[in-house]
Amino acid sequence: MLACYQSLFACAWVETHNYYLFHVYDSEGFSSRVNRISLDNWRAYLGTTEDYYYFDANEMKEFARKKGDDLMVNYVNNLERYMKCASEVRAESWDYPTKNDVAQRNRVLNSILQYAQGKLTSRLRSQHGLLVMRCNMLLGKHSDNITFWEQTGSKYIESVYKEMMQNIYAGALYKTGQNNRAAQLFAEQGDWESLMTQFYLKRSYAAIREEYLRDPNSAVLPFLVQDFVNNTQEAVDEDGYGKLFVRDISTREAEQMVQFAGQVVKEGKTKTPALWMTARAWIEYLLGNPVQAVAHIDEAVKLDGTDWMKNCARVIRLYIRSAQYQVSSQFDTYLGTELAWMQQMSEQTHEAFYENALDRIVHQQLADKYAKAGRIETSMALLAATHAYEYENALDTLEVHSLLSYIDYFNNPSANALDRYLKPRITFDSVNMDDLIGTKYLRLCQWDEAIQWLKKVPMTYYNSRGYAIFAARRKPDVEPWIKRQWLPLGAEYEYGEQHMTANPKITFATDMRDREAQLAKLKGKEYQQACYDLAVRYAQASFTGDCWFLMRNGKSELDEVRANETDLNAKAVDLLRRASQTSDVQLKERALFALSYVYLNPDRWYESEWNRTTSKFSTIPQPNTRQYNAFATLVAFEQTNNKGVSTYVSRCDEYIQFCKYYKP
Amino acid sequence: MHHFKGILFCALCLLTACTTLPEMDDENAVYYWRTEWRLDSLERNWVAQYDIHKVYCRYFDVVVDGADSNEPHPNATIMFIDTVPSGLEIIPTVYITEACMHQPHEGMAEKLVKRIVQMNETHDVGGVKEIQIDCDYTLRSRRTYYDFLEEVRREAAHHQLRLSTTIRLHQLSMPAPPVDYGVLMIYNTGDPQKFEERNPILDLRDVQPYLRYLDDYPLPLAAAYPFYKWLRTISGVHITHEVEADEILRVKSAVEGERDDLRHTILLYHLDANNIQRYENKTFDAIYRH
Repeated sequence: MLACYQSLFACAWVETHNYYLFHVYDSEGFSSRVNRISLDNWRAYLGTTEDYYYFDANEMKEFARKKGDDLMVNYVNNLERYMKCASEVRAESWDYPTKNDVAQRNRVLNSILQYAQGKLTSRLRSQHGLLVMRCNMLLGKHSDNITFWEQTGSKYIESVYKEMMQNIYAGALYKTGQNNRAAQLFAEQGDWESLMTQFYLKRSYAAIREEYLRDPNSAVLPFLVQDFVNNTQEAVDEDGYGKLFVRDISTREAEQMVQFAGQVVKEGKTKTPALWMTARAWIEYLLGNPVQAVAHIDEAVKLDGTDWMKNCARVIRLYIRSAQYQVSSQFDTYLGTELAWMQQMSEQTHEAFYENALDRIVHQQLADKYAKAGRIETSMALLAATHAYEYENALDTLEVHSLLSYIDYFNNPSANALDRYLKPRITFDSVNMDDLIGTKYLRLCQWDEAIQWLKKVPMTYYNSRGYAIFAARRKPDVEPWIKRQWLPLGAEYEYGEQHMTANPKITFATDMRDREAQLAKLKGKEYQQACYDLAVRYAQASFTGDCWFLMRNGKSELDEVRANETDLNAKAVDLLRRASQTSDVQLKERALFALSYVYLNPDRWYESEWNRTTSKFSTIPQPNTRQYNAFATLVAFEQTNNKGVSTYVSRCDEYIQFCKYYKP
Repeated sequence: MHHFKGILFCALCLLTACTTLPEMDDENAVYYWRTEWRLDSLERNWVAQYDIHKVYCRYFDVVVDGADSNEPHPNATIMFIDTVPSGLEIIPTVYITEACMHQPHEGMAEKLVKRIVQMNETHDVGGVKEIQIDCDYTLRSRRTYYDFLEEVRREAAHHQLRLSTTIRLHQLSMPAPPVDYGVLMIYNTGDPQKFEERNPILDLRDVQPYLRYLDDYPLPLAAAYPFYKWLRTISGVHITHEVEADEILRVKSAVEGERDDLRHTILLYHLDANNIQRYENKTFDAIYRH
């Protein structure tokens, strides 16, 4: 018996919905921002519109030469020399640079430095100023950089080069022990990487408190508070999807932070109480105090803060309210307004935060809440708005009448703000829906209803499905326990369009309808043969059969009988039992053999146990399993079968194995 | 024949018993395990306060990445931002991943010593008398590692440099490596997987099973104790481990009780302002008590 299990599309895709909601500054950090702007500047100089542009010194010099821009040619030449030195400093090889190598490199850096210092009044003064500071940095002249910035660089016009100069200045402050000033600048510039380097081991409630006491409006505080709150989430969740730089926060430390945040707001020294009150409310919620969380987040949204802080408070209020409030028309209106606002913010800022927040709010709170309130359509529409894979799964397993209601909901005019937000986010393909509804009826073995919907679907649809190659080559009337319909090696990866002329689902539904109608009229051997034939088709159409494409779009070894579908294998077993009552020896043998088929039995007739002594698996028969009993019945039958054991039985490896272990 | 074996055994015992290992000096030392050489005022003061004259400074790691070749190469080389304060002897230390020792690598010892010497010269690190190799060698890699140490020792001798190596507790049951002395790493003693039961940095219960090897271990030994914080990720959450001062002192007392010369040269791992602030002066006084 062929026990091999075909596994296609077997990847189990899991994605987190547990995005951080406490987010109070731009996601784009300093380095990616200045890199982007620098490249834009080079691109503008070249006049290119290439989307993916990478700096190429030769291309740049060639272009500048053609323009007669000697200043730029020399600048790029020196920039190139600087970059070579910088890469040498970073290089790791067995040949460590000698004093002479270092001296030579320093000579090059000093010559670049000297050149750049001579161009500080030129058209490219900012670029050259940056070059001066870069050279000083590699030469370890941090004090020179501090002086240069304070006396010269800081007076330049605003540009990305000035920002980079300031960043090197902050680094020089750090390297000369002026940590607080350095941290303020890193924070103001959004250089979270440098801040993290500086604060990596210091991140804690104690560090936040210390920084607040030093300066209640320190630019570092939003960074430290955000890091603390999100670490609290990680410590509470421990969901296995941890992020970088996370540290464990104890409940006690989180509670201290809650108290402290309240105290900060009360003291009135902070210009951004929204930051603290939101942190307080969110930690309270995470620690399981939703009542306080609701009160404090309502307060937080009214307080002052940066736009990011106020928006963050509003998003967290939506999450907490979604968790705490009952479904009602008032809540619908509130939710519709807030989701529309988040959508607008997402489009305006291009920050993933809003999409992620929507995802978390829907998947952790709203979808379930609306489903439990009997609002399946709203629940589905919310899932649709997140574009998550769960939506497709939910659509596929939704009860057919609910799907029809959902389609009605989609087609009817919007009743409130929530509907007005949701409906434009649902995309329905009517052909796809007709196939899905028809397939749902197929899964329920309601053949006529299935045919009504499936006949609306054109053949082009089926010929272009991923499963078309299986549908074109497999037949549901082949006994799966005797012959598996394997495709030629690799054929399943050829997703080319097929050329079926008949809808395989309709062919199947029509055949099943006719056979079932006929069954009631038959008796005796004809009835038993018809039962067997129907069982073959049910087994083939089940998720373990070769014709799984009749009921599903894909196949995975994780498949099982799902909600809102008939257990086709159970139907096959029932029919096979009836068929096995026959006095027709050949049919009885086939039916009994089929009943021992691995996929028609919930458990195997044996268990394998690893034997450490023999380093082999041992077979332990399981006489209480259905498959064991089915095989036992088959063996008993074959012992009395005067026509002789059929070759499909005698050559079946499972049957041979069973006979070895079977003790009647 | 059996009789002869017995005599030989007794003779070996006597020989071992009579062999006197060179004495370690009474010294306070510390590891420096960062990627930039720079001491702030707190660290400089602390070094002076505890009369530390030797710093075992990690110069670089040697790793095999396996992507393109299995050839070991240096990684994370320290950058000398500051000069080395006068009166401080640097012992260049190189951490070699165990994977590097799964097979011999011709010429690696020479390249390693040459690189260390060059780094000293380039950065004016004077007065270097010794180098140390750190490797978590196992039964699988021990022979290759010891052969490698022999080569390093020969190369180092050309530059008048002594050689030491780290010895982890589990390595005490193996033959001693061919070096001038070993630094017994009395940290990272626990199973990191069982962090909820035992502190993986140090726990006397994890040290105890190895104490019996100490007395007969045929190599002069220094003792290195932890005073660091360990942050790591478990199921996506970073967990912090720190050792209680009392635990360090309990372990120190236990190991010195087994082998008296472990009270001579004492190291702490590793020098950092945060680590210094983690413990009280009286703890450092007690650890560095000879």
